[in-house]
Amino acid sequence: MTSRPIPLNDPDAGDDTTTPGSGHDAPERKRLTKWQLYSRRFARNRPAVAGVVIFALLVAFALFGSFFAKYDHVELDFLALSDPPSPEHWFGTNNSGNDLYAMVVVGLQRSLLIAVVVAVGTTVLSALVGTAAAYFGGRVERVSLFVIHFLMVAPTFLLLAMMSNDSGGDWKVIALVLILVSWFFQARTIWTMSLSLREREFVHAARYMGVPGLRIVLRHMIPNIGSLLVINFTLGVVGAVMAETGLSFLGFGVKLPDVSLGSLIGIGASSISSAPWLFAFPAAALTLLTVSMALIADGLRDALDPTSAAGGRA
Amino acid sequence: MVVAVTNLTYFLAWAYLDPRANYVGRRPPLSEEQIVNLLEPRDLYDGTPLLVRWWHWFSGILFHWDWGVGPTGQSVNEQVAYRMWVSAELMLGATILLTVLGIALGVYSASRQYRLGDRIAQGTSIITMNIPIVVAALGLVLLAIAFNETVGTTVFYVTGSSSIGVSGFFPVLVDTLQHIALPTLALVLIGYAQYHFLQRSLLLDNIKSDYVRMARAKGLTKQQAIRKHALRTSLIPVTTQVAFSIPAVFTGAVLTESIFAWKGMGQYFIETITKNDIHGVVAVAAFGAVITAFGAILADIAVVVLDPRVRVS
Repeated sequence: MTSRPIPLNDPDAGDDTTTPGSGHDAPERKRLTKWQLYSRRFARNRPAVAGVVIFALLVAFALFGSFFAKYDHVELDFLALSDPPSPEHWFGTNNSGNDLYAMVVVGLQRSLLIAVVVAVGTTVLSALVGTAAAYFGGRVERVSLFVIHFLMVAPTFLLLAMMSNDSGGDWKVIALVLILVSWFFQARTIWTMSLSLREREFVHAARYMGVPGLRIVLRHMIPNIGSLLVINFTLGVVGAVMAETGLSFLGFGVKLPDVSLGSLIGIGASSISSAPWLFAFPAAALTLLTVSMALIADGLRDALDPTSAAGGRA
Repeated sequence: MVVAVTNLTYFLAWAYLDPRANYVGRRPPLSEEQIVNLLEPRDLYDGTPLLVRWWHWFSGILFHWDWGVGPTGQSVNEQVAYRMWVSAELMLGATILLTVLGIALGVYSASRQYRLGDRIAQGTSIITMNIPIVVAALGLVLLAIAFNETVGTTVFYVTGSSSIGVSGFFPVLVDTLQHIALPTLALVLIGYAQYHFLQRSLLLDNIKSDYVRMARAKGLTKQQAIRKHALRTSLIPVTTQVAFSIPAVFTGAVLTESIFAWKGMGQYFIETITKNDIHGVVAVAAFGAVITAFGAILADIAVVVLDPRVRVS
């Protein structure tokens, strides 16, 4: 626990609400910047740190795993059909001779890419719609809330399956459709939070100084819900991975020759008692991915929440 | 709202599914005329204006409760009438079990906040909540197969919802239990944790409140105070949450049914999409909307029972 004296960060609009104690009453105490405080609180949460480590290893595996692969994921080895894991094929092979190790690497890349794109898109869209609806009010608010409430009762998984099936397994279309059916729950939460935000003094001040509405939303309101957005992003990754793998498992998502963890599990499911390794390796990668991301989200929630009981001794 | 959603799905289904695709590429190839003759009587011919098709379909439901036929001519009504009970069996059992388990664990870990039991329960829950349903279900299949081999007889069936040729009340009951155990377990395993966390945090808020301290001051034990005063208040938001999580249970049921080969609504959902069965897809959407509405009504009733401030007029 070392801390060095640092000048207070700029009292930029919005950021000041989460800056810890001003220090006027205890001048001899050394100040921490916001990020030092957050990282220290995060590091105290051991499961969250484990989550970061696991997640980093998975990303490294997805990025660099193919350098160690002896086979390409579409290459067929006819001398090794449905082979259990061996020195030659580390994760075994399927019934047409594909190397499972190479397939898991590619599948993990695909699943991660879709998940990150969807999480970014969902977070951005929900933040914009939620805060704009709260700030502008009136017709903008009514229309956005109508759309949100309508989507909440719509059979989204069904629409998702139809649209992505129609796209023929293109991951970009799948990601786009996933964004369209998953932004509205977050947008509703953000709208509720922004309702109190729009009555705050700094928003009024900005408005009376003649700052245009869109800039108030972007510069003053969205930074204030930053911590919520970070958490939403990590949870969005979990949700997107689950939705995408579910779809691909059923055969409505990513299709051959492209593979994702879901479609690999789908292949493994048909031969689960005769070739359990086809299920075990992609399933392990998938579970590690979702659980590590959830642990990170949990740790971030404790670290970023100023009222959290876990942050007593920063 | 159910009607609006169903109609919207009808139009969206027409935008994304093409019943004609079922007949293209057949051997021997069908002529255009033959395809039209097959599709026309089933209201699936895309040469007819969409609004005419829609009115045929909608008036059929309104006046005869006829949900149309699939591209091979089988009635959607018959399919749904059989399948909805299969799905309802699975979803109802799983929803009740996971709610009760989640609430019980929530009460347990709230009354032992930050002690060992609470920490273990929370650690388990955060992992199980984030296991993908596919992995959970297939993992259970592997475990059950291993278990059956060790015991020597088939205790758990991993496919289907019932065996053929079983009769009598108790044999049927045992057979159903053997089939339903694994899919229900899979749904409960991934679903209970959200109620655990919700119940725990709500109960902790209530335990610290004045009226629970008052109850303790009157001389009630901590257990009594929690059960009689704190629990009842904190159950209200949980019941509302149950209603809104029913669509998620349905999505989970789609995947579990396909893994355990149950001929329920979830499997029908997959079948209708792959076969471009528009009327079937719409029926699935309507089923989903109806059970969501049903859940909302149940939640309202539960709130009235639990909350003395809500009066039914």
